[in-house]
Amino acid sequence: MGWRKHSELVTLIKSTIDNSTMEGLDIFDRALVEKYDISGPRYTSYPTAMQFTENFKLPDYRRCVLDTNAELIPRPLSLYIHLPFCDTVCYYCACNKIITKNKQHARPYLENLHKEIQFQGAMFDDDRLVEQLHWGGGTPTFISHQQMYDLMGVIRENFNLRDDGQEEYSIEIDPRTLKEDTLSVLRRIGFNKVSFGVQDFNPEVQRAVNRIQSYEETKDVIKTARENNFRTINIDLIYGLPLQTESTFTETLEKVIELSPERISVYNYAHLPHLFKTQKQIREEDLPSASEKLKILQQAIRMLTEVGYVYIGMDHFSKPDDELAIAQKNGNLYRNFQGYSTHANCDVVGMGITSISKIGDCYSQNVKTLDAYDEIISGGKIPVFRGYMLDTDDLLRREVIARLICDFRLDFSQIEELYISDFNRYFFNEMKEIKSMGDDGLLSVDDEKIEVSQTGRFFIRNICSVFDKYFNRCDRTTQFSRMV
Amino acid sequence: MQIYQTKCGDSPFKELDLHKIEVSCASCSLSELCLPRGMGPEALEKLGNIIKRSAPIQRGEMLYRAGEEFKGLYAVRSGLFKAFVTADDGEEQIVGFFLPGEMLGLDAVETQVHVCSAVALETSSYCAVPFTKLSEVCKEIPELQNQLFRIMSRELSSENQMLLTLGKKNSEEKVATFLLTTSTRFHKLGYSANEFKLTMSRQEIGNYLGITFETVSRVFSRLQRNGIIKVNRKVINITDMVALKNLVSGCAG
Repeated sequence: MGWRKHSELVTLIKSTIDNSTMEGLDIFDRALVEKYDISGPRYTSYPTAMQFTENFKLPDYRRCVLDTNAELIPRPLSLYIHLPFCDTVCYYCACNKIITKNKQHARPYLENLHKEIQFQGAMFDDDRLVEQLHWGGGTPTFISHQQMYDLMGVIRENFNLRDDGQEEYSIEIDPRTLKEDTLSVLRRIGFNKVSFGVQDFNPEVQRAVNRIQSYEETKDVIKTARENNFRTINIDLIYGLPLQTESTFTETLEKVIELSPERISVYNYAHLPHLFKTQKQIREEDLPSASEKLKILQQAIRMLTEVGYVYIGMDHFSKPDDELAIAQKNGNLYRNFQGYSTHANCDVVGMGITSISKIGDCYSQNVKTLDAYDEIISGGKIPVFRGYMLDTDDLLRREVIARLICDFRLDFSQIEELYISDFNRYFFNEMKEIKSMGDDGLLSVDDEKIEVSQTGRFFIRNICSVFDKYFNRCDRTTQFSRMV
Repeated sequence: MQIYQTKCGDSPFKELDLHKIEVSCASCSLSELCLPRGMGPEALEKLGNIIKRSAPIQRGEMLYRAGEEFKGLYAVRSGLFKAFVTADDGEEQIVGFFLPGEMLGLDAVETQVHVCSAVALETSSYCAVPFTKLSEVCKEIPELQNQLFRIMSRELSSENQMLLTLGKKNSEEKVATFLLTTSTRFHKLGYSANEFKLTMSRQEIGNYLGITFETVSRVFSRLQRNGIIKVNRKVINITDMVALKNLVSGCAG
């Protein structure tokens, strides 16, 4: 998942929170937006993948795993399984994927994946329960029902899955790939949470991004998902797609609200054709203008909050009685590679190409190509490509960022209990910048805590990046200056 | 733009790691050997000359192996060691963990051959006292000899306590006893009795106490649920010392 510019949110909040009339774009505090208009990491990890190094190798990973097995109360596990295949290309996509109509292409990959699951499973102690499981892609539903059964079977053989209702086992679904009984198969093999990629319901927008799926089709699969007792349904939307306008997206949002999913994600489309080849298929002149994009996002937040969705943070919304909103209220919300999570402190085991694991004090990422994956798995090894070993400074900064991004609040004692004797002294320079953010109304700060304000929630990346040692402010792109 | 200053000259990190705890001679168990009451400066110097401070040794490095000839006694200066015997089938049985200020090697005094092996569980350092030379000094200073006996006697009595723990107590009482004695040992070193880091693995704790590592974690979880301790990875915080002591003495139902 790449970085997303969030200046739009900044603008939006100025208009939705600070101004009750919410009319147009001329109401936001231009000076504030310009000042904080930067692109920043989404902090699904800290340090971010940019710091990963190839000096981190398999023995380092192995040592981290064994160290976590040795902990007095080892953390439960969260498994991520990467299924990179798609049968059609969506032009906006920046994910790592392999486009093929030939279903046979998945077979050798799945065989290798089974082996990796065995290798990984053998390293973790049996009493470490799998609290979370996620199949992502690509399109996980590209594979056949039999392949789904087999894959879950191998996972069950090699890891300790809990099936007591407390687990959170989710899968990303492209509604277009579903057969009549796919959802019941998925439920039967253990999934209880589904995430549907919708992006936009407007047919013209869908044509422009090569992802045609009717509202009726999506409505049907969501009905089926409910009939199959999936606990949580999530819908992904993207704003900033070609041919989108405020009014087309309003229609999309109305339809989404009608479907009443527990969670909604509204991601920003970043047009970077020089980095992601398929984006070249999108005509630049079809993209909504910057000001249109702002209106779209503004409208999304307004509509969703008006009907009762809670803004969790960082593109995510949920119903107020959803686990995410409740966890945030109780201060046990966490962040991982899939976004927000209610499952504390799991060690994450990523399997499949490009997957990232987070084990104890390290991150480890698998190789990125099918060939490299095949070669290393055939040699009987876990295909570690690169990773990162966190030192004490990284660990405490990670905790600071996690607390801010999940709780919108940081008690310095939380960090002082674990790491340092004097937060204010340790972060002397950072706190100067935090205080100036306080003067701008993004937060309030005293000797003991930082509390992010309603306005500041939409600047959370800016606030977190103050504590990011590796984030280079000089390199930042000033999206806003391009926009005006 | 902003300049980040991350680490000040004097380390701002909390010293939770055993390897950062440097024992001074005054708090070291060897000091009873080095500095016995009534020991004159001349004898002190003699003793000082025979004690050797080691360079740090790494996690996994052996201090001595079972079957090796007895060379002397060792006092942990920093870090953590475990001593273990290896059964015929290759199974390892841990017989003790050794914190800074504690002494290793007494197992070989009688036979002159080590019965146990000792290995560093993290980066550690120690002082070595060659036993032959120690005996010579002991001849000259009888008080030193007496102190050596006292240390051996104390070892023996704590070993008896351990046998009682292993033989009679249930797994919860075993873990509680382990926590309490470790807490007392840290306290003796001048560190918090309530918060300390257990660098050894749950597998090693289980091996030492004669319970499975799964049980070790289950008991730690239960103690945490009952508000007696807080566990953060390897760091233990005893939040209800009275309840912990009750568990050890078997009063708490």
